[in-house]
Parts: sequence; C-alpha cells; structure tokens
Amino acid sequence: MRPLPVGLLCAALVCGSVLLDNPLSIAACALVATGLLAASPPPRGAYVWFAVGSALLVFLVNPFVGVQGLTPIWTGPHIPVLDTEITQEELAFGAAAAMRLLGSSFAIAAFVRLADGDRVLAAVARVAPRSAMIAALASRLLPTLERDAAGLALAARARAARLDRRRPAAALAAPLIGLSLERSLSLAEAMEARGYGSGPRTRTPGGRLPGWERTLLVLAAALAAVVAVAAPSDDYRYYDLLDDPFTPAAIATAGAILVLGAAAIVTVRQIRRRA
Amino acid sequence: MTAALQMSDVRYRYPDAERPALDGVDLEVAEGELILLLGESGCGKSTLLRALLGLVPHFHGGELSGRVVSEGLDTREHRPGAVARRVGLVFQDPESQLVMRRVDHEVAFGLENLGCPAGEIAARTEHALLAAGAAHLAGRETGTLSGGEQQRVAIASVLAMGQRTLLLDEPTSQLDPAAAEELLGLVRRLNRDRGITVIVAEHRTARIFEEADRVIAMEAGRITVDAPPEQAAELLAGPAPWLLPPVTQAFVAAHRPERPLTVREARRLTSRRAPGGGGAVPAPVLRLEDVDRSHGDVQALRRATTGVAAARVTAVVGANGAGKTTLAQVATGLVQPDAGRVTGPPVRGYVSQNPAHHAIRQSVADEVAYALENLGVPADARGRRVTEELERFGLAELADRHPADLSSGERQRLAVASVTVMRPEVLFLDEPTRGIDGLRKLAVAELVRSLAAKGCAVGVVTHDLDFAGEVADDVTTMARGMVLADRQPASQLAADGLFACQLGLALGCRSVAEAAAMLRGEVEAFHV
Repeated sequence: MRPLPVGLLCAALVCGSVLLDNPLSIAACALVATGLLAASPPPRGAYVWFAVGSALLVFLVNPFVGVQGLTPIWTGPHIPVLDTEITQEELAFGAAAAMRLLGSSFAIAAFVRLADGDRVLAAVARVAPRSAMIAALASRLLPTLERDAAGLALAARARAARLDRRRPAAALAAPLIGLSLERSLSLAEAMEARGYGSGPRTRTPGGRLPGWERTLLVLAAALAAVVAVAAPSDDYRYYDLLDDPFTPAAIATAGAILVLGAAAIVTVRQIRRRA
Repeated sequence: MTAALQMSDVRYRYPDAERPALDGVDLEVAEGELILLLGESGCGKSTLLRALLGLVPHFHGGELSGRVVSEGLDTREHRPGAVARRVGLVFQDPESQLVMRRVDHEVAFGLENLGCPAGEIAARTEHALLAAGAAHLAGRETGTLSGGEQQRVAIASVLAMGQRTLLLDEPTSQLDPAAAEELLGLVRRLNRDRGITVIVAEHRTARIFEEADRVIAMEAGRITVDAPPEQAAELLAGPAPWLLPPVTQAFVAAHRPERPLTVREARRLTSRRAPGGGGAVPAPVLRLEDVDRSHGDVQALRRATTGVAAARVTAVVGANGAGKTTLAQVATGLVQPDAGRVTGPPVRGYVSQNPAHHAIRQSVADEVAYALENLGVPADARGRRVTEELERFGLAELADRHPADLSSGERQRLAVASVTVMRPEVLFLDEPTRGIDGLRKLAVAELVRSLAAKGCAVGVVTHDLDFAGEVADDVTTMARGMVLADRQPASQLAADGLFACQLGLALGCRSVAEAAAMLRGEVEAFHV
C-alpha cells in the first residue's frame, strides 16, 4: 500500500490519541487503531503484546505515583515513595493514558504492516539516501536473522541443549552475530555488483494512486481535519474531580472519528482484497 | 568474433591468505559463448567470476596482478559499479543478494543505481521479469519466495540492467531437479535466443555439460582444462571424473571408450536394463503414523506415515517445499506433531542442512563435546568419546581449530560428528550435499554408508536424486506434505518415473558403481 494515505490515516490517529483530552475521543482513536491493526497483514502478535503490556503497565503504575484526586476508593499501608491512596481520578487518568499509548502504538504498528516498506524508504531517500538504504537493509536482514537464530537454536536442541536456560541460549548470540556479519558482507557485495554507489541514482516514478487508495486518502484527510478542529477545544479535567465526558462536542468528535475510522478500515480491507 | 571477457596472466591473493586464489589465469570468452566452469569447492571458480566484475580486488581487497577486461572495461581502472553496467553477476545464495522487499522494486533497484531515466524503469523491469519467467511474481514480497523463485528474481534483476554478459555462480545449488532444469533452460534461452554471453559455475553438470560451447575446469586457482564438451570429458575422465555428468562417470568407471554426455547418448550406446526388485524392506525402528504438522497457514505434513530401519539408509526425496525437513524434525523429536504418533528409540540425531548452525563453540573439540556436556556425561568419559569421534571423522588433527576456519567438507563432517557423538540409534541428515562438489559428495556418501554399517538407522533428506541413488537402501517419496511412497527399494530411483536419477533414466541403474558393473558386464558378454 502507498505510504501517503495510510501514513496520513495513522498520523491522524496518533495525533488524536495524543492531542485530544476527552476520554470518549481517546477511546474512539484507540478503537479505530485496533480495527486498523486487525485489518493489517500478519504477523501482528509482537505489536499487540508490546502495546497491551505497556498500556497495562501505565494503567497499573499511575495510581501509585499520582497524588491527586478527591474521590478515594482504596487506601493501603504506608510505603515510602509510593502513594497508596488510590482515587477514582487517578484510575481514570491512568486509563486515559493507557488508551493514548494503545491507540498510538496500534496506529504505528498498522502503518508498519500496511505501508509498502520500499516506498517508505524511497520517500525517506529523497532527504537522506544513505540512512534510507541502511534502514532498507536492516528491514531485509531482520527476517533472515530470525531464521538464522531459529536454525542455530534447532541445531543446538538437536544436541540436547536446553534453551530455556539463560546460559545455553546466550551461547548462541556470538555465532548469530557472526552469521549476520557474513550475510551483511554478501549483501554489500551483491549491491556493489548491481551498481550501487556508482553514480547519481534515479527513482521509479510512483504513478497515480489507485481508486481505493484515493478514497482512503480522502477519509484520512477528513479524520485529520476532525482531530485538528477538535484538538484546541477538546479539554477535559481529570483532577481534582472528573468532568462529565458526555458533552455534545465530545460525542460529536468521537462519533466522527468512529464513522470515518470504520470507513477507512473497510477501505483498507478492500485494498488488501484487491492486491 | 570479438572478446567479451579477457583475463591475462591474472594472479590474485585474498588478504591474509596463504596461497593465491587465482594463479596465472589466461582466459578469453567470445561474445555469445556459453561457458561451463567446473572445479572442486575452493578451486577459484567464484573468485574468477568476481574478478571479471572487478569485485576482486575492489570489494575484497588483496593483491591482483595481470589484466582483466570485461566488455571493454579494464577492472584496474573501473570499479564494479561501472563494470556492472555491462556484466551481471548472480551469486550462489539468492537470499543474500535481495535488497528490496518487493519483487518489482528489487528488479528496479539496479536500474535506479545506474541512473536509468525514470520513465524507462517500469518498462524495463516488466520486460526483465517476463524474460526470466518471473512476471507473475511482480507484486510479491521477496521474503515469501521459494529458492527457485528467488533465483529467477535475482536473474531478472541482472537482466533488467541490460548487460550483455551474465555470470552465474552455482545457480542451482539450492534447487530441486525440476526447478534446476527450468532455470538452466532459461539460461540456455538467454544465450541462444538473445546472444547473451554466459559463464555458469556449476557442480551439477548433468543438465548443462553438453550444451556448453566450452567447458573450463579449475584446480588450485589454475585453469587445467579449456575445451569443447566432448574433448573436456576426455581430458577430465582421468584426473577428475567426479566433475563429469553421472552417465559419463559410469562409462569412465567401466573403462569404456565412449563418453556420452546426455541420457539420450547413453541410451543409444547400451541396451538399457530394467531395475532390480531390491528385496523386502525390513520393519522400521522409528515409525511415524498419520502425522500432521502445520507451520502457520502451511500444512507441512498431511497424515504422513513412514519410518527408517536399523542399519539402512532411507532417502527422503521430493521437490522443494514437499515437507521433507519437517518430517525429519518431527521424526527426531525437534518438532512436535499436531496429530499422529511417533515411536522409536530415545536417542535420535538431526544434522541441519546448514553446517554453520552446528558451529557455535571456539574449537572443533569443544563443538563435538557440546552435546555430551548437555547430556551431563562426566568429563573423563566425555574426553574419550570426543577423541573417538574426532578420529572416526578424520578431524583429530583439527581438534584445536576454530570451526569457522574449516573448509566446507570439514565443516560438514564436524556437523555430523557433533551429533553422532551422542550415539543416536536414528540419525537424519538434512540436505547433506547442498552446495558441495562431486568429490565431497562421494565422501559424504561414504560417511553415510559407514554410519548405517554400524547399525544406525539413517534418514537422508535430499532433492539430489543422483546422490540418493548412490547412498540409499530405501526411498520414501514426498509431495505437498504427503508421503507418496513409503520406503520403496532404492531401485525405484532407477525406474522411469518422477523420481528417477539420471543414471536411472539412461541405464536403468541407480549408482555409478552399479552402472559401471552393468556396462562391464555388457562388454564381457560381447567378448564371450
């Protein structure tokens, strides 16, 4: 998928998650980002584990480090440094922070899975050609590194190694680095053999955006506009007492994000089906 | 005819190397020629190809003397990037040369590097993909391609750049016979129809020996034979018969004067015999029953039922992706089946297809001791068994060397020794001939036979049917995760069928020794 429409969509979701304050708007962004990641090609497991784990951590830690809120719901024993008086406001703020993190992480993960990596790097290459090439090579070598690691682990297990123990597993790190260095050298040689670095490069023209991707671009632009318009006025007070989240403006913002987001997810599915 | 490539008294030594990789090479290749480059691993074939592109010495360093002129460019004055505009090199491991994530972007990569006008890139990419028979792969991610598909894309990437000369370094080393045949067919078409000059370095010579305009053999950095195929076969018959196609090897071994280079010629020269029955196959010591196993969405094994018998070699053959490796891993307990049953002795060994995966310690002796340490074998017994194993595999003198410093053949032996030191009753070797030359292949065959002779049930996973014919007692054939035929007598490889080796097709035999005996018998019968 071309990076522009999906990049704009994901950027709008990240901005919405970070800039909007009302829990309804933040939840809407997180929900759309979740749907978008679900519509992306696998593997997605690692992103989900990372995002959910980080969000849970933020949610659980916040009440013990925050000292605000006027509605206590539980008071624990005195522990130095930690605040053991848990308030409803602290929980709500922690939940909102976790949703911001979840929405942002899922949106970024969806971009990684959906955007054509070669085109993203080609775009970066206009500004920083060497850095783009290094990133391209890293993205190509990572799956190979993963396969080499699996091969080394398999061969070690074939020789009765217990890799659930720390030391035997660590022993595979050095040969893995050696193998990846050998591969890097082979790749560098292959690039030189294909004229890399022999002079000024040209670029394959991108061509016109296909129909469904144009639709996605329009939806992403609309979503970005909603976030941009709502951000300055989407205030919400968590401390000292929670505001009522169900204001007409907040409902309208969240509704607009959900509708545009749902349409974008359907469009992404269409694009993938036709690919 | 003008020369496409010229080498004059070229000597080259890699940095820190003791002996030269190229030692006084003189070579001239005319435009449109198809050259087959032969030789044992380490004889200098790959270095010669690299020198023709200027990668030696510009990329690798070292000392080069003499003169290399490729398509009119002297490599002393022009870097590989400049030579790459006229000469393309496809490396042995296709995976290591793919740069981009998508196939069409990969093919366009070289054009972009050469500064090709943006408006031409898409058309030339499409054209190259069509020429390489890879147009259907255009939108695919390179990481999802099979070995054969990757090799096609690598060739398309070079063709797109419009060079007149193509250098291929062991392009079929990772392909099954059908994919290898298809790829070499493509190379022949590019040469015959488009007039592209081609040099192919290859170990599996059966399909291309006779097609070449010239056969060049190398030894220790020198060109020892440079002649048309028929003459080259005659010259190689004495010093290096393993470089010849299997049918030719059989005639050489039988001391027959003819040198057939193809199945067709060999058939014409002899009365072909039907393969023998091979006798009953004994009961297996390890058995898989109705085994299923999936990797993600791919069902690698479907109700597979097979086994391996004690003191016998069972070849597991099939195309790339048939499920052979998964079968071996399930059989040795490294991968659990999703369904079905595996029964057999407790100590089973598996040697991976990449010997580098068995090289994780700092010395050869430590590497062999690794499995025994993991099993908790006491130090004195461990030392004894390691010494025995090193001697058995001819590695005793290398005990203190680092595994990375070994030759490819020594690495292969070390990989096997590092597993057999556990004294497994069942041992699976996964593609043990991948990328090795004919002489090393003979050594591996001998090693496998010696393991079986000591009572081990040996499974050999391979797509090399000629090797399977040389080494196996029984053959299990697989396709798309299914066992098509469970442990048939290896004489099946000599029958006319999907899984017939070259000697089987030509002479109704499965090994060079069997074919030679048959051919000798024919001569004796004639004299009687």
